[in-house]
Amino acid sequence: MIRLIGGEMPGWREDRPPAGGALYGYLADQLPAGTSVLVAGPHEHALIESLAARTAVTCLVRSQPEADELAASGLDVLCGTLAKLTDADRWDVVVALDGLGRLCSVEGPQYDWAECLRALKRALRPGGTLLLAVENELGVHRLVDPAVATAAQTDDAWRPMGEFDDSKPGTPGRLAEALVSEGLAVDWLGAAWPFPGSPTMIATPGALRDGPVDALGAAVAGAVASSYEKRNALSDPRRLAAAAVRGGLGPELAAAWLVIAHLAPRPAVALQLPPVLIGDGPLARTLPPGRLLEELLLAACLRHDLPTARRLLSGWLAALPDVAPGNVVVDGETYTKLDPSVPPRADVLRGFATTLLTGGYAHPWPAATDLRTLTAILHGAAGLPGDVPAIPPGEDPPVPDTRREHEEQVRTLRRLLAEADARAQQYERDLAKRDAELTKARVQIAAFGGTFGYRVAKLGYGVARKARNRLKKRA
Amino acid sequence: MHHANHFYGHAHVLAEYCGLDAEHPPRIDGYVQHGWNVVDGLGIGTPYMPGRPIFVWSEQTRRRAWSMGRRQATVIGAPFLYLLRFAPPPPEPVTRAGTIWYPFHGWESQRVKGSHGRLVDEIMATETGPVTFCLYWNEYRNDRVRAEYEQAGRVVCHGYRGFQFRDTDTRFLHNQLGELRRHVRVASNRLSSAVLYGVAAGCEPAVYGDPMHLEREDLATAERIRRQWPELHGRHPESEPARRSALAELGDGYLASPAELRAMLGWTPDRLAAERVAVPA
Repeated sequence: MIRLIGGEMPGWREDRPPAGGALYGYLADQLPAGTSVLVAGPHEHALIESLAARTAVTCLVRSQPEADELAASGLDVLCGTLAKLTDADRWDVVVALDGLGRLCSVEGPQYDWAECLRALKRALRPGGTLLLAVENELGVHRLVDPAVATAAQTDDAWRPMGEFDDSKPGTPGRLAEALVSEGLAVDWLGAAWPFPGSPTMIATPGALRDGPVDALGAAVAGAVASSYEKRNALSDPRRLAAAAVRGGLGPELAAAWLVIAHLAPRPAVALQLPPVLIGDGPLARTLPPGRLLEELLLAACLRHDLPTARRLLSGWLAALPDVAPGNVVVDGETYTKLDPSVPPRADVLRGFATTLLTGGYAHPWPAATDLRTLTAILHGAAGLPGDVPAIPPGEDPPVPDTRREHEEQVRTLRRLLAEADARAQQYERDLAKRDAELTKARVQIAAFGGTFGYRVAKLGYGVARKARNRLKKRA
Repeated sequence: MHHANHFYGHAHVLAEYCGLDAEHPPRIDGYVQHGWNVVDGLGIGTPYMPGRPIFVWSEQTRRRAWSMGRRQATVIGAPFLYLLRFAPPPPEPVTRAGTIWYPFHGWESQRVKGSHGRLVDEIMATETGPVTFCLYWNEYRNDRVRAEYEQAGRVVCHGYRGFQFRDTDTRFLHNQLGELRRHVRVASNRLSSAVLYGVAAGCEPAVYGDPMHLEREDLATAERIRRQWPELHGRHPESEPARRSALAELGDGYLASPAELRAMLGWTPDRLAAERVAVPA
């Protein structure tokens, strides 16, 4: 059933995908049956339907065509803008995993983040629970985004505020304060990667603080890596995300925060959530301890620590010769595959050579500027038998395509060209010198090795020249 | 690439280590550091081709080279250490006696200045066992200088360094290793490659005596060396710190496997096939 509450947008559809994915689906599945739930803003149908199968669900969307589709599948739908919700509209749970940015339509007041939160709080019954996602304007996904959020050109960006909405909290701590000031008590808070709309990893600040921090850093890097395959970015988000986690800034630089909060007097629904969620649910296995091999290798290369680089290369290729270094964690001499579901690769050394070259990383073999030579060197450094026969087959690993690396490649190419030019000039000078020596040598060979007549003529010519010079001098 | 790669048979040693023709080593794609130095690993006056690697002995030299604008310095370790990897062990029983003494030497462009006679006196007053004087070819070929040392002990020369690929004594380092292994101590009046090699070959090092000097020498560098490596200077330096320091300068622990070295030096099978024309010894 559909109810048009006012401010609905006929003939208009959201032009960015709704919030969803396996982890949001998991969170929604934790909500108990027998409650009334408002799903506010665009969410994936699968999530809504799974929820509706267990409990009473009402959807709030601003797009009328989308409202019609939801209603057609048997759901209760409110279509319109957030400001039109009345005090009569109350629920046990409000789910806002899409955040608060797509609740107001073009019609009527344009609420900022805090006003949206207040409106949703009013939609909760006493003891009601809010499940909310908040995009971090300084999240890794934004720091590496080549596009400017405040210049978005999508049809929903009629007022793109980006980081200029001052009411939006900028840290997990301020988010909790904002909720408390609205009378909402925080039950659980998690930092999410790689994107606010569809995270594949969520960890609580406590888990990120207590660790194992290296393994969590590796897991975050892995979560970011799979979402940024061949995707444009300013700089490599894997390094940024992992460095943030290792440096104790994981929650502050996560893409989003997820929060579960309740209104007084007590939570009607008490959700029990684990400290770390990866992929499609709670972390079922213990994370293997240790640091990501790729980061250890890069660090050894940057330090020009050849003994360590060789030890890591040998250990890796002896233990896991078909697993890329971004999916291996190293603990002492133990090499473990981080994500067992990733299929094997045959060209892992070529892949790491590509990372070194395209990433602009300093390494101990700086004169090896082509992929083939560097792969052959790594092959030897890993203690593998034989030489690398030809250009090793394989595709470049599906890594982020970053502007910083492009800049670095242009700089490298300019340098290589300048060096090649300088060498060509030197070769030309050398060649001219050799040509002169060769000409002289040929004359000498002809003089001493030629026919008798030639030698006599040559001798006579020399004598005649000397005589002429002497005469000239006297004159 | 540069004829200095063949000095002392360095290219020949590296080729043998890599399992290639030691008589006719292939062209090296870069510059091999041919002696211990405190600059960028290149010899004086080497015309450097931009973009080509300098194959330096130690990580410290690489850092110094980088600071001097040499971005392609690549650490491989001293060729002498590669020789130690494959050289046959000394014949049994191993007997070491006395000191092999390397007087500071000149070369084609710079003669060494100072009194050899006074140096010999100082050496003989210090050393307790027999002394072998190892002269560089530059002094060895000088009858007057050689005679001054011959009065005090046995005099040897490891061979001619080579120049422009001509007359290189490709067994230079082999000869040196053989001599070093016969002595307990290695000494010189300047810290030099020979002292470092001596340590690698199991000798106790010493650097003492009138340091003498080269014509037009920048003496500030010599003083800097004494300040930076005091553990290697003196008549009887403490053994372990001296050994650690000497091996670090030679790049101990940084040696590449034959396969890695082949790839670094440009000695891959297809490159060798394309080259065909052997570089003369």
